[in-house]
Amino acid sequence: MSKEKNSYEGSISSSYKNKELLKNTLLLSIIATAGAFFIYWIIIMIYTDGLNLNVEVPIEVLYLIFIIVYVIFGAIIILDYGYNRAYVKNFTYTISEDHIIIRHGVLTKTVAIIPYSRIQNINIVNGVFDRIFKTFTVKIETAGSSAAAASAKSGIIKPEGYIPGLKDPNIIEKKIKEMMTKYSAVPSGLEDKIFKPEELAFDNFISYILSKMREGEKLKTSITELREKANLSAANLAEKVGVPLQTINYLAEGRYNPSLALAYKIAEILQCKIEDLFKLV
Amino acid sequence: MKFKKKIASRVRQFREEMELSQIELAKLVGVSRQTIYYLERGSYNPSLTISFKISEIFKKPIHEIFYQEPIIKDILEGKSLSEIREVAEVAGLNLEKLASLSEMDDKQLAKVFKKETMTKIAIALGAEFEDLFEN
Repeated sequence: MSKEKNSYEGSISSSYKNKELLKNTLLLSIIATAGAFFIYWIIIMIYTDGLNLNVEVPIEVLYLIFIIVYVIFGAIIILDYGYNRAYVKNFTYTISEDHIIIRHGVLTKTVAIIPYSRIQNINIVNGVFDRIFKTFTVKIETAGSSAAAASAKSGIIKPEGYIPGLKDPNIIEKKIKEMMTKYSAVPSGLEDKIFKPEELAFDNFISYILSKMREGEKLKTSITELREKANLSAANLAEKVGVPLQTINYLAEGRYNPSLALAYKIAEILQCKIEDLFKLV
Repeated sequence: MKFKKKIASRVRQFREEMELSQIELAKLVGVSRQTIYYLERGSYNPSLTISFKISEIFKKPIHEIFYQEPIIKDILEGKSLSEIREVAEVAGLNLEKLASLSEMDDKQLAKVFKKETMTKIAIALGAEFEDLFEN
């Protein structure tokens, strides 16, 4: 995949593997200890009830069980640590103009491409273990349902966009939101209305809308200067024109290609020509 | 009180002056032929970038190509004299006063006519007040 101009690349912090290590050690040690006692209890039951032997089970058996169980436990922890190290090394994400690409996987490599048009919300999670290592997990929830399967790590179902072990989640959140508001203010629900069965058609449609929106970048505007000259605040102007304040702001930033009727209305209120208000660069 | 306006265009006139077909103009602007067709019919509110491109091609300022026209003027001009007379009668106006309406700007309109009169005219024309005027 070619590197795009306006993209941001990042990887996850190595604290993730330490966090997973602590988490798994705690969890597995509880299971291992309980398991060892359980096996010991089973053996006693078999000895006394099953075989009807009138012999005491020596305490050394318990020690032996503990040693075996903890060796297995240790091996699992070491393997898991190695796995998570590789996981951290292989995990990269890219935030580009219209999608997020997450590459991860140790044995099975996965590339998840999430178009912004699919993103429903972004959650930043800071759990107990996260707090110990000062990391954050960013979950990007999408409209798709096959998503969970696409990026599940070792059978655990996670949202499509799952980025663990981030030191500073605000960077990623800011980047995503920046890109989203810049390029994909798509009315919600449009998907269901028009192109539901054809996913490709929808994405084409979105990119068409985005390209239309980008046409606003070709317009140079002096709306702010003229507005200030007329002693109007942005909110006043919006009210007089009869549009939301956001529209005026987008126009001033060159992020919106207005209709001629809207341009006329603004020009009328600011008492100028359209050519004074906007210029095609 | 204000006239409700729509964007009317002289695209057809200028296009024919330049001896361009709709398809040729569409290619120059970078839109489909249908867009040009709707523009000429005046039933399409173009985006500003398209307006700028067209004004570049015709080498004319935007307001010469696209101009705002009160909807009521358009309707009145499409009617015959006897029909207009009828409208004047229903609205309770004399013919000259009604005819002068289409020459007025927003300020004159607000001075001369009252809202009730405008509502009557709208009804006589088979429309609602909101279709033809703004408050």
